[in-house]
Amino acid sequence: MSMTALGLCARWTHVGAGVFLVGTFAFLLLAGRSDRLTVVAWERRLTRWTRWAAGLLLLSGLLSLSYQAAVVTGRSEDALSAATMLRVAGATQFGTVWLLRHGLLLLLAGLILLREREESGWDWAAFRGEGLLLGGTGLGLLAWAGHAAAVEPGGLAAAGADALHLLAVGVWLGGLLPLALLLRAAGQEVGADARPFAVLAARSFSQISLIAVLAVAATGIWNASNQIGNVASLLGTRYGHLLLLKLGLFVPILALAAVNRLRLLPALSGEAETVGRPAMRRLASFVALESALGAAILGVVILMSVTPPGRHAEPWWPLPFRFAYPPPHDVAGAGTRLLVGSQVALVGVLGLVAGWFLGWRRRLVVGVAAAVLVAGLGVALPPLAVEAYPTTYRRSPIPYQAASIADGRHLYATHCAACHGRTAEGDGPDAAGLPRKPANLSDPHVGRHTAGDLFWWLTRGIPGSGMSGFGDRLSEAERWDVVNFLRTVSAAGRARGLTAVVEPDRPWLVAPDFTYAVGPGASRSLKDYRGRRLVLLVLFTLPDSRPRLGQLARNYDILQTMGADVVAAPTDGGDQIISRLGASPRILFPVVTDGAREIVAAYSLFQPAAWRSPPTHVEYLIDRQGYLRARWTPDARDWAEATGLLAEIQQLNQETISVPPAEEHVH
Amino acid sequence: MRLWKAIALLNLALGVGLLIGYLWWGREASRLRQETTLTIQAGAAALEEREWAVRGVVRSVIPEINVLVVTHEDIPGFMPSMTMGFRAANPKLYAGVQVGDLIRFTLKGVPPNVTIVAITREGKS
Ligand code: HEC
Repeated sequence: MSMTALGLCARWTHVGAGVFLVGTFAFLLLAGRSDRLTVVAWERRLTRWTRWAAGLLLLSGLLSLSYQAAVVTGRSEDALSAATMLRVAGATQFGTVWLLRHGLLLLLAGLILLREREESGWDWAAFRGEGLLLGGTGLGLLAWAGHAAAVEPGGLAAAGADALHLLAVGVWLGGLLPLALLLRAAGQEVGADARPFAVLAARSFSQISLIAVLAVAATGIWNASNQIGNVASLLGTRYGHLLLLKLGLFVPILALAAVNRLRLLPALSGEAETVGRPAMRRLASFVALESALGAAILGVVILMSVTPPGRHAEPWWPLPFRFAYPPPHDVAGAGTRLLVGSQVALVGVLGLVAGWFLGWRRRLVVGVAAAVLVAGLGVALPPLAVEAYPTTYRRSPIPYQAASIADGRHLYATHCAACHGRTAEGDGPDAAGLPRKPANLSDPHVGRHTAGDLFWWLTRGIPGSGMSGFGDRLSEAERWDVVNFLRTVSAAGRARGLTAVVEPDRPWLVAPDFTYAVGPGASRSLKDYRGRRLVLLVLFTLPDSRPRLGQLARNYDILQTMGADVVAAPTDGGDQIISRLGASPRILFPVVTDGAREIVAAYSLFQPAAWRSPPTHVEYLIDRQGYLRARWTPDARDWAEATGLLAEIQQLNQETISVPPAEEHVH
Repeated sequence: MRLWKAIALLNLALGVGLLIGYLWWGREASRLRQETTLTIQAGAAALEEREWAVRGVVRSVIPEINVLVVTHEDIPGFMPSMTMGFRAANPKLYAGVQVGDLIRFTLKGVPPNVTIVAITREGKS
């Protein structure tokens, strides 16, 4: 058996033993005292089991630590090195939590082993209460060694919820085994003396476990949403699949629990021979089955603990479709269908609720309502369904940056322009001979496909259209570069109406990040200004731009005082650009000597007609959240006087921030 | 001894342990904070003359006030890369230096009072 399997088995045993101990002590407290012979025998048996469980708990804890030592150093022989184990215990969060927990667990083991006869009610309660306290703390602290503690921000809340989850699982799942044992003992002929005790215990456990299961479900949902985040990660990552498996095991447990609670529990106190005892035996085996399923869930949980959470993994979408609102392609009548369908579905939901509560011909009403609900969804949803691919929800590993867009632009010109046209409008020279007309990639609808969709088409091609895949010609990074470029093109299509006047409170056009350097100074990036200063990005050409640069230079201190910085990038690449600008006027804002080509290649896309004739001078105003808010060219009057520009800056300064900062990656 | 008494004692001990741990942690944190401030002060108090060789690109020459404005790389222990003016030790140093020149210059002085004491031209930018 491999190292990993052993390590995971150790963890599983550890958690299982912990759950059993917590559940047993809670159950013993809950069931109360009794001196019936069968009950005493049952308790003695449980006590013996708790000794074993405590031993297993400590042993598997030690094994977990040695497994962690091997994981941390990456060498399996370190699993047996005491020195490494000590280092892991002393220097990692896992280790700190481990030490704390095992201190408590040692006390717990001591308590169980050294237990003497209890002489009074106080002793009785103290022993069980202390077992629950130590075991529960030991179990709950596990949350701080898992994924939950790594959630940012709000790690404390997430770990707290996880601890509550573990405790509730302990009380409920761990109590099942003692209950099953008790019921089995009491269900036999010789155990008749324990029957009243068993019935009472089963009833109160049923109450407590209902609360515990609700807590388990609530904290579980909260945890899962922290770790998964969205449907794509649920359906498309290993972590998500494990979670689905966990839920899949949870459903039959709930069903069993419901049968137990609604059918078997009331029957327990029925006539002993014909009703009570058979029900008790059936309940015993159902409860045992429940706890076996619970043990399987714990196994899944252990696997999840060594799987990267869904929000950190790239999802692989398993379905051929997804639902998108609004749909990327306009379907005739989709709006009406959506409206009608959703109303019908709503009627169905109301019918379901009403049928459930009214109780009047419940089956019929519920059946009809369900049919109405399905019909409503059947009308509303199909227009929203769009084709999806395994990579649909992939996130681009390449940030949305000028350098990537510039590379993409270059790749586009060599590989795509023949069909899609030099200006991406679908009118390339090869377009005529194709089965379908190449898409107009500057159309806004391209922006509504996910980045993962575009990536898939670039990789595999579009069947039957004449566009073949580029998976063999372009590397993965190059394909993402092209995706970033396509994003810019479709955003630029939407940005055709951008003017020199800031539209108040409506940022939407993400300004691609860029890096630049001035001479030997450290390179800086647009993101360095995020949250602090506005940026006026100036693409300029000598000699035409000289007067304007002079004007900006003269007003540079005012601009700076008003919270704006200027970054000037020469359109001709910037060879010896500072020397060419010369000593007068005195220009002190950054003039890009390194990185200008990429900035110009990417940002000139935001200039209408830039495809045909590259701009000689254009200025972009970028706000503190990283959005492009205004564009000025010398043929417009607005910023010809510095006061015009200052007015727009003032407008942005007064704006209350209403949107999150621009994202680094396209979606 | 009765079991419940032993357990009560145990919990008392655990509680006291928790309290002591918490207090110790608080003291440790404040000690660390103090040490950090001391280190920072010690760093600031290093008032001795220093010298750096720095590269930069000349953005402006202002002979009237004997200042050279340079976009320079990081100056370790003094300031990060930025554009700013430095006084030259004597006007002859920047004779022939033009805007856009890549220079390597020597800064000398007790921060923040530093002057350029030598300049070599490396090329144009
Ligand atoms: C051989 C000609 C050809 C080449 C080369 C080509 N395409 Fe296409 N492309 C097409 C055709 C035809 C369609 C239309 C398919 C359809 O309507 O279903 C298309 C569709 C697309 C679409 C889907 C647009 C949408 O909204 O449905 C994208 C995106 C796309 N191409 C990008 C590219 C990129 C990027 C390249 C270069 C790497 C490229 N294509 C190269 C012919 C081509």
